[in-house]
Amino acid sequence: MNTNTINPRDRLLAALKYLFVIACVIAALFPLLWVFMSSFKSNSEILSSGVSLPKSFNFSGYIDALRISPILKYFANSVLIAGVVTFVNVLLLSMAGYVFARCQFFGKKFLYFLLSLSMVIPMTALLHPVYIVVNSLQLYDTKLGLILVYTALNMPMSLLIMRSTFQGIPRALEEAAYVDGAGFVRTFFQIMLPCAKGGLASSAVLAFLGSWNEFTFALVLTSGESARTLPLSLSYFTSQFSFNYTALFAAVTIAVIPSILVFAIFQEQVISSLTAGAVKE
Amino acid sequence: MMNTKKRWIVIFLLPTVALFLLIYLVPLLIVFVTSFFDYRLTASELSFVGLSNYISLFGDPDFHKAFSNTIIWILIQCTLHVGMGTLLALILYKKVRGWKFVRTVYMIPNIISNAAMGMIFLNIFNPSYGVLNSILKSVGLGHLAKNWLMDSATAFPAVTLVWFLFAGYTTTLVLSSALSVDESLIEAAKIDGASPVQTDLFVMLPLLRKMIGTTMVMAATYMLQMFDLIYITTGGGPGKATTNLPLLLYGAYKGENNYGYANTIGVVIVLMGIAVMAIINKVMKVNDDEY
Amino acid sequence: MKKLLVVLLITAMVVGMVSGCSKKADNKKSSTNKDGEIVLNYPTFQCGVNTAAEVVAKLVEEFNEKYDGKYEIKLEEIPGDTNYVDKIKVQLGTGDLPPVIYGGGFNLLDLALAKDLVVDLTEKVDADSEWKDLYSEAALTTNSRDGKIYASSVEGSLVGYFYNKELFDKAGIKEPAKTWDEFFAQCETLKKAGITPLSMDTADSAWVTQLWLGALVATDNESGLDFMKTMNPTDYNTPEMIAAVEKVQKMLKEYTTLDAIGGKYEQAANNFLSGQTAMIANGPWMIGDFTDETKTTKDFADKVGTAIYPDSFVYDAPIQGYFVTKQSDPKVEEAAIEMVKFFTSAHAQQLGLDLQGMVPASDTVKVSDEAKDKFPLLSEFIELAADAETRTDNMQATMYSNLLDTISQELPRLQSGDIDAKGFCEIMSKDAAKNS
Repeated sequence: MNTNTINPRDRLLAALKYLFVIACVIAALFPLLWVFMSSFKSNSEILSSGVSLPKSFNFSGYIDALRISPILKYFANSVLIAGVVTFVNVLLLSMAGYVFARCQFFGKKFLYFLLSLSMVIPMTALLHPVYIVVNSLQLYDTKLGLILVYTALNMPMSLLIMRSTFQGIPRALEEAAYVDGAGFVRTFFQIMLPCAKGGLASSAVLAFLGSWNEFTFALVLTSGESARTLPLSLSYFTSQFSFNYTALFAAVTIAVIPSILVFAIFQEQVISSLTAGAVKE
Repeated sequence: MMNTKKRWIVIFLLPTVALFLLIYLVPLLIVFVTSFFDYRLTASELSFVGLSNYISLFGDPDFHKAFSNTIIWILIQCTLHVGMGTLLALILYKKVRGWKFVRTVYMIPNIISNAAMGMIFLNIFNPSYGVLNSILKSVGLGHLAKNWLMDSATAFPAVTLVWFLFAGYTTTLVLSSALSVDESLIEAAKIDGASPVQTDLFVMLPLLRKMIGTTMVMAATYMLQMFDLIYITTGGGPGKATTNLPLLLYGAYKGENNYGYANTIGVVIVLMGIAVMAIINKVMKVNDDEY
Repeated sequence: MKKLLVVLLITAMVVGMVSGCSKKADNKKSSTNKDGEIVLNYPTFQCGVNTAAEVVAKLVEEFNEKYDGKYEIKLEEIPGDTNYVDKIKVQLGTGDLPPVIYGGGFNLLDLALAKDLVVDLTEKVDADSEWKDLYSEAALTTNSRDGKIYASSVEGSLVGYFYNKELFDKAGIKEPAKTWDEFFAQCETLKKAGITPLSMDTADSAWVTQLWLGALVATDNESGLDFMKTMNPTDYNTPEMIAAVEKVQKMLKEYTTLDAIGGKYEQAANNFLSGQTAMIANGPWMIGDFTDETKTTKDFADKVGTAIYPDSFVYDAPIQGYFVTKQSDPKVEEAAIEMVKFFTSAHAQQLGLDLQGMVPASDTVKVSDEAKDKFPLLSEFIELAADAETRTDNMQATMYSNLLDTISQELPRLQSGDIDAKGFCEIMSKDAAKNS
């Protein structure tokens, strides 16, 4: 990042580096821009042009989006469900991840192996059994039903991340805590969790996005507006012989913009807590 | 003391294990058991058929194609894709100007629904007005323009691009891990006269090994579950050029209502997952407790 | 210790939130009563931008009014046709079906019948002459199995093709072709005039393209027509099928747009609506699009003509209708039967026609003057279709559902020449065999 390097090789390297970063940013921004532009285009514009500015800026797509689908209600449900899932998931899986990273007990390897199988089981295999479980728990068409399922769906990733995060924390830290007379639980919450903020934030992000974007279970496990989530609202705009792409992309924009804001603020929090130096030995 | 600790271990594990039992155990058992049965949506009873599902699966040329496609995609994702995300993380952790912006922006494609992402790439690759062909034509390479997603020769790489470029998860994970590395280690390397590149290669990367291994496992399992982006863009075609195991499974499950056969493919996916995770753990030494 | 307290507090808060989220699971999909009213939960894909959404909403309103205090329908919107099928299949797999299901173009009836979950309506229909009269010969075929009536249709599928009169004029073509030779000659003329003759597609089971294919098969010879009338045919390796696929290959290669290959219905429709192509095979539900200015230009509707296929062929068949599933509570079954009867009555069919230009399932329902005014193209087409000599259902309605994906995968290879017509038919037969 030192800009006054004289060495030409270093300069080339720096240039390449910036080029790479810029390329990544463009690649990441392109879909967003495309969706945003499309939310102002007419159906025929969307279907007959590539990258272009809309002929006119009007908000009819947004008005249609709000008229055709209960998107705001679904949005609120999504925020609540994804929020709770994120918190519960990260809390539970950091506990489990800690135990797997640090404790010895009989059958540990086998249990971990069994748990990680859940990462590769095909979704279609889950559909029928999960439907039956949720139904028999009287949780069909409730937010709690979705929260339960999403917490489980995001389990393998969070476990993986939290375990490897705790493995990366020097043992000396907790040993010192034990010497000071801290118990197991206190050591975990007061010493280990603050050190694992990076991992916590990452699994939180993943769990949030995982439940934010999930479609299949939201479809199968809900029937009314009280529990449905955002991805379902996007289906309102295309049917076999009828479509309203303008409204579809307006809906996608409505779904994306606030999440980016939340996301940016959330990350800022995490970064500042990280750089505050909680991890210094 | 020992007993209270044991109790806490049980308490810490209990919710996770309960979730597993509730949501995953039964499906896992069903997948394995019914792969030995003739089990269809339309039949009221299942009949034991031994290995016959496996025999017809392994003899099916479509399966061979789907299997090799899946393997190739896993390899690409675990190496190039994770490499790209890691490279970006290695640049960003030094807090270059705008690094927070880049970090947030790079996650955006993961927030946009797959249905929309699929349509964006259908638009980019559209043979009549797509961006790619327009660019080629404007730089005088019009003869290279083609129907990228539907040409047997280009469909596979074209579909790969739909997810390949967006390594937001990898960057986020590796970056957070890099930010928590003790800065004194980096300082020490600098004092020893290591160049920034050397520091990254010989100090940083080894420290990030476990997290990179973790992202590889994630990338591999992502490819083992990859379905909708392919289904929306090529539907597995032309022919079977872009069919992978989840698409094949979906065909048996939804098209043929043949759940036994679908679950046989499911068993193959689970076994592949186990193998891939074992390999990555071995290569990246993820399970070593040493710091 | 303070931090631990904070954590505990937050946990308590979350638990509170969570329990707040689980609203009482009152009347789910199995129908229970409140103040003696029987509640029917009816999941439907006919919502959102689906053209029938308005009609279904209106019927529900009327039904609830008519049976106030006795029955009540609660709509469960499942936007997206495939989402609907997916969800019904999951419920079918767990034996937990809603009381009324619309079979639609997805042949859900046979799936539910295989599980023995469908209520036999024969007695009820026979006992009600008004209901019975709505069943035409074709409707009986579509909705009964082994001589028993299980379902009741509301809508017919009457499909020909649309053409752009302005483009036909430009190429010097006077009227739609009467024979296939003439049709291909017209394609050639259009092409020479610099006009792309056909809108076609290959993605999402290639709806538009398979309409041309089926028309070619049905008019080739007697056994071709028999093939089209067979439910779940398995042998695609027949001379008439191969001949038809060869012609479709030619159409894909020479007479359509670049983006037909890999294109969806939306693309094909847009190419026609924007005046880029001269013809598109499709049903009357498209007529509304001709006046929709977000999809096409002003006055486009004036340029559109409608036609039946060469050799006097038209797709004409009732769409599989509503059926009642077996319920533990006989009262719910009774209510469900009332609903099916109401939703497929002459009144309901008339309503669909007047509101949205939906073709009625029964030919006893006549095109009203109101509908004629509102949808002139529709009444013109219904008259044309009445004179067609050959009629049958479309291929997609009768083929094994796994072939829908096969078609989408193999048509691009047919176009590029990776496989020939014979190869295409062999793959279709091979995949059809996977169902046995």
